Amino acid sequence: MSAVFDDGLSLFGVRRMMEGVVPPVLCTASADRVPNVSYLSLCEYVDPLHIALSYQFLNRSRENVLATRRASLTLDDAYTGAGVVLQLEYQRTETEGPVFERLRAKLLGVASHVGMEKVFHLRGADVYRVLEMRRVPGRREFPAALPRVDLATTSRLLSERMAHCEDLSDLLETLLGGLADLLRIDHAMVWLADPAQQALTLLASRGYDIDGAGAEISVGEGLVGTAVREGVPIRVGHMMNMATYARAVRDSAGESGLTEILKNEIPLPGLKEPRSQLAVPLRARGRVLGALFVESQHDQYFGYDDEDALMMLGGQLAVAMSLMQPHEQEPPAQPAAGAATPPDAGPALRLRRLGRDNSIFIDDVYLIRGVAGAILWKLVVEYLRSGRREFTNRELRLAPELRLPDVQDNLEVRLLLLQRRLAEQCAPIRLEKAGRGRMRLNVERVVTLEQEAP
Amino acid sequence: MIALLSAGVAHQVGGCTNAGRPVVCRGMAAQHEAGRLLVIISSESGFEVLDAVRQNGNIALNVTLPANFRSMSFVGNDAVVRGSGASWRPLVDTRHAAFREQLKPYGFPPDYTNAWYSAPDEQLVAIRFTPMVARNQTPGPSAGNKVELMHTEFEK
Repeated sequence: MSAVFDDGLSLFGVRRMMEGVVPPVLCTASADRVPNVSYLSLCEYVDPLHIALSYQFLNRSRENVLATRRASLTLDDAYTGAGVVLQLEYQRTETEGPVFERLRAKLLGVASHVGMEKVFHLRGADVYRVLEMRRVPGRREFPAALPRVDLATTSRLLSERMAHCEDLSDLLETLLGGLADLLRIDHAMVWLADPAQQALTLLASRGYDIDGAGAEISVGEGLVGTAVREGVPIRVGHMMNMATYARAVRDSAGESGLTEILKNEIPLPGLKEPRSQLAVPLRARGRVLGALFVESQHDQYFGYDDEDALMMLGGQLAVAMSLMQPHEQEPPAQPAAGAATPPDAGPALRLRRLGRDNSIFIDDVYLIRGVAGAILWKLVVEYLRSGRREFTNRELRLAPELRLPDVQDNLEVRLLLLQRRLAEQCAPIRLEKAGRGRMRLNVERVVTLEQEAP
Repeated sequence: MIALLSAGVAHQVGGCTNAGRPVVCRGMAAQHEAGRLLVIISSESGFEVLDAVRQNGNIALNVTLPANFRSMSFVGNDAVVRGSGASWRPLVDTRHAAFREQLKPYGFPPDYTNAWYSAPDEQLVAIRFTPMVARNQTPGPSAGNKVELMHTEFEK
């Protein structure tokens, strides 16, 4: 049976209506033709003839669909007021694969934003063949709003700017600046994945009161953590509507309250009342290296085109992070003889390391952890032992005690993160570039080391 | 439940043809009338639902409050299509205004819902039915479960 679509209609063309700003409405009927009408969480484009609907609960809609295999679905355009009505034939339920993963990631992204991951469990992706799609007649439609910017052109311009960057710091500044100047995305963050810690660390941000470099979240937490764990972009365009829907589900399920938000040791930047958010994974060489996250105070600020543009720019960033290797052809720095000469100024600084995850504290104030923490510890230990203040990237890369993650991109990124975190904290220890493939440790106070066993 | 009808709800009206084709359209207003429910739809956008209702009288009216997604569905099997025209305009306008208020916090421009409520008077059609079953349709695991009808509300 061939599909019957009104002239000019295609499933791809109505993807925007599937975003759930106006929740999709599903009508099913029992075998004896008793109708049932309900709202859906998610609808996902599969291909020109198929869509997938989220299957979360064993309810009457589900019973009806399994009994009759038929359903009708309405989708509304949140911009123009246009609508389409579809006739569907149930095909199958998928519990794995890309369609299921996309739906699950979106559902988890929405759920995690409001702390309801346990309630928002996706049992499957119900795949339907679209038999008919017609415009809802009689609607007085509004003209579609003009696009915010020409995303294709501005993305290309930004990509070209990024291609001229020679180091990671410059690259991040160029990306975040270009998002604001060219794509009119004023609030953005770049997160870095640390697979060993199952955590994400904030590498850079723009458009917030605080910088937040070094702040951490868990993989799987929030939109960013979910995008990284699932390796797919997640976009929420109408936060208030989705949050209301999610809370209705939670209340219906009898949950007692929101899950507690994990406490971060470093304050997270972020908009107080975001209306739109988008997180895209940074993928390179088959791995997810982190995430690019953007948000806005405006509803439905990011569309599919933004998702496509940021995936492309994020991909370029990820590849560049992989390729921007330190200049290792440089010879190692010559160590100075003897122990460090104590600086004159100020009382002794206490540098403390917790062995389990290399958490570093300066005078009891948390600084950083993980690989970046291990690097700082090594540098300071070496400085105290030999008085040497200059180091090469090469010797760090070869240092077995650092146990750098099994991706070559990480050293440069961790050094940048450490450098930014020290600068942000106005710490009496600074790390700065000292030429190609070299860095210099500046220590302004006498340092005492304290190490706690794991 | 009766109070819900005037609180600014969204209306969805479902039916099923004798051939087993489920159909759905947006409603514009509903009210309680002496033990029965009345729902107004557009004959243009709701032509399939009207056809299905005329075939077998089966109907489901879903009303949902945007503020909290509280959702109820009323199911009947004696629906009839009766009455149309300008006499329903005041009810539609009242319900539309309440619905528009509900959508304000969600960022929809005030005129947005005009797209859904713009049917001319001659297209306003009333469907009346006796609610035999009420179902909780608030999204979640219990969506579709029966809720006991309070006969004091629906019987006079």
